[in-house]
Amino acid sequence: MKMSKRILILVIAVVAVFSFGVSAQAEVYKIGLSLAITGPTSDAGAPYAKGVEDYFRYVNDNKLLGNDTIEPMIRDDQYKTDITKRNFEEFLDEGMEFYLNYSTGSTLALKRDFDEEKIPVVPASMDAGNLIDSTYIFLPTTSYSDQTLGVAEYVVRNHKGGVPKVAMFIHPSAFGRAPVEDVKKAVEAGLKMEIVEVVEHGTDLDNTAMLQRLMSKGVQYVLCQTVQSPVATLVKDAERLGLIASRFGEEKKLTFLGAHYTGGNDLILLAGSAAEGFYWATSFNLTSEPGEGTTFVLDLAKKYGRDDQTANSHNYTAGTTVAQIATEVIKRAKAKKKEITRDNLYAEITAMNGANALNAKTTVGPITYSKTDRKGVDLLQIYSVQKGVFKAVGKPFEPGAAFKTKK
Amino acid sequence: MSANRWLATGNFFSSYKEEQRIFFTHLDRLLFCVLLAVLFIWPLVYEVSNKYMLVLDNILIAMVAIIGLNLVTGFAGLISIGHAAFVGVGAYTLAVFARTIGDSHVLITHAWPLMLIVSGAVGAVFGAFVGLPALRLKHLYLAIATLSFQMIFQWTINFFPLFNQGQTIPVGRVYWFTGMVSRGDHYLFWYYVALVIVIVFGLAVRNLLRTRYGRSLVAVRDNDRAADAMGMNPGLTKVYAFALAGFFAGVAGALHAYLYRGAGIESFTLAQSISYLAMAIVGGLGTLTGSFFGPAAIRMLDLQVENMVEWMKQFLPAAMNLATAFKPLTFGLVIVLFLMFEPRGIANWWRICRTYVKLWPFRY
Repeated sequence: MKMSKRILILVIAVVAVFSFGVSAQAEVYKIGLSLAITGPTSDAGAPYAKGVEDYFRYVNDNKLLGNDTIEPMIRDDQYKTDITKRNFEEFLDEGMEFYLNYSTGSTLALKRDFDEEKIPVVPASMDAGNLIDSTYIFLPTTSYSDQTLGVAEYVVRNHKGGVPKVAMFIHPSAFGRAPVEDVKKAVEAGLKMEIVEVVEHGTDLDNTAMLQRLMSKGVQYVLCQTVQSPVATLVKDAERLGLIASRFGEEKKLTFLGAHYTGGNDLILLAGSAAEGFYWATSFNLTSEPGEGTTFVLDLAKKYGRDDQTANSHNYTAGTTVAQIATEVIKRAKAKKKEITRDNLYAEITAMNGANALNAKTTVGPITYSKTDRKGVDLLQIYSVQKGVFKAVGKPFEPGAAFKTKK
Repeated sequence: MSANRWLATGNFFSSYKEEQRIFFTHLDRLLFCVLLAVLFIWPLVYEVSNKYMLVLDNILIAMVAIIGLNLVTGFAGLISIGHAAFVGVGAYTLAVFARTIGDSHVLITHAWPLMLIVSGAVGAVFGAFVGLPALRLKHLYLAIATLSFQMIFQWTINFFPLFNQGQTIPVGRVYWFTGMVSRGDHYLFWYYVALVIVIVFGLAVRNLLRTRYGRSLVAVRDNDRAADAMGMNPGLTKVYAFALAGFFAGVAGALHAYLYRGAGIESFTLAQSISYLAMAIVGGLGTLTGSFFGPAAIRMLDLQVENMVEWMKQFLPAAMNLATAFKPLTFGLVIVLFLMFEPRGIANWWRICRTYVKLWPFRY
């Protein structure tokens, strides 16, 4: 009798232990990312992927979600929308609850899928068109239009003497054309600047004719919305022709400015001394401007064995930022004892405003989202290359505040 | 013809009608019907994830395009390096309709079979137009002419706002007799649609090759002067070949746009044209069965290379950089190896296997 009682107690204890184990089982949250790790734009995509991967490893290693972990599913799509869609379907089959996309083309192509699946998405693309006719896409920072408008406003504020003459140097795609209309509307709304020409660059390796033409038309400023390589070619040609301004707005010279994907340390590597005096607008903190956020990024890169180029890449910073957004949203839902579902994550991300804004140290301002505001960081910082390093110029500001155009 | 239609041997025919049969024996027809039944029934029995269903749909759509490419390049001997542009013409025909009248318009959502035919017709018109240089040009020069069409197409799409300057133009969900085809059923639905189209087009081409028009294609390929001397019109035949290829490509393009619910320029670039040519070569130029094997082989190769690179990344962190070269390397290597060692493509392997296995009844 005593023996059978002992056995019964033992059995109950074993069952209790296993039950406890089952109920305390850690959750694994799956977050998908499809991007160009190889192929076109992989110079931005590769460090971006590393930033995302490293931040999630940091979250898991430091148990920021308790015993729960994040499983990032990162796939290379070689900048092809067909492959992105396939990867997206694969992630959905795996039970993904939050998605990080990359290119403008694929984000626009999958827009309706995101809405149908009701899955929150934070892409690397900052095209304002991502927000039109969509509900679930959240830009990480200011859009390309905001960035180009920001540098245009900087030109107007700091130009001396008359109305500045400006040319736009853009990528021959929707990515490049995205901000042109908005800048034109701002000019019509009162931004005192003259857009002399909008140049869509091809794959030309020589811009002599174009630069001479701009000079003959009295252009003083060139606003760039493209990627680093064409900008590097442009400024190197300008340096060769002796056209680069030694100070902002120097007469009979050209001052070059650009949006997020035009700048970064890779531009300096590609363009060398020609990058001196290049003005760049972005919403991210740079490692060349030491601070809490940049120290964190450098430490993260060092911890996970990344080389200096990756650690100092603004794309690596961007990757860590979007991973922070995803993690924070999950963390907040867990804190409220909500189940981690797409609906709950969407509710949390749209509540990320006011006192609930995310102060990611990697951005120049807080990240805020609501149902009507789906651009994360609203502030922009201008940087300029000084002695081979990007240095902050002035304070962060909200672009287009004076010239808000209605869509 | 033998009295036993199930296991008839020999090729003795007593009328042209008997010779024109697609299936010489009832057994052949039965096996074909069993194959069709399997193709239609297996998705209902064996559940496949959306990812692989998308891959299968892509393979079927590529088959439709490659049937057309095989007609013009394989059977008519006219090199075309702009086939993706014809596919793009079909896709953008649908996309322009969607952009102009609305992507949820009943013409797009309910009359989608009509839209497939319209896209094919527009593809045929462009095919005939591009085929005009074929009247004067041959071989490399004709290839350059088709390449120029590819370039013109890409520039046009990227430049004009009507085509959203290359960015995706959305296309709405279609309706079937049971109502709107939901996201859950989307890939399965288009699998069946593409499968029916592949079967219909396959039978159509098989019949075409038995008609005077089909024979004209082959005759013009082999010797257009002799064909002219025999009373055929080589010029008309060449234009006709391009028009037909354009039609098939246009239908494939419209299917692509419906499957992806939009049309964007990235799917119709020169790289895609080269890929189509590779599919035709690997499958077997000048054979109908090659049009089925080629797309399957190339698309599965792409998938397996991706999986292999993902696997390699676990052991070789630097594999990320290797992958930049790995995919085009395998792609190019496969084409070169096939051209060197098996220029007749996978269709020839199929022929050899079939001949090896089928010991009786003999066709001869």
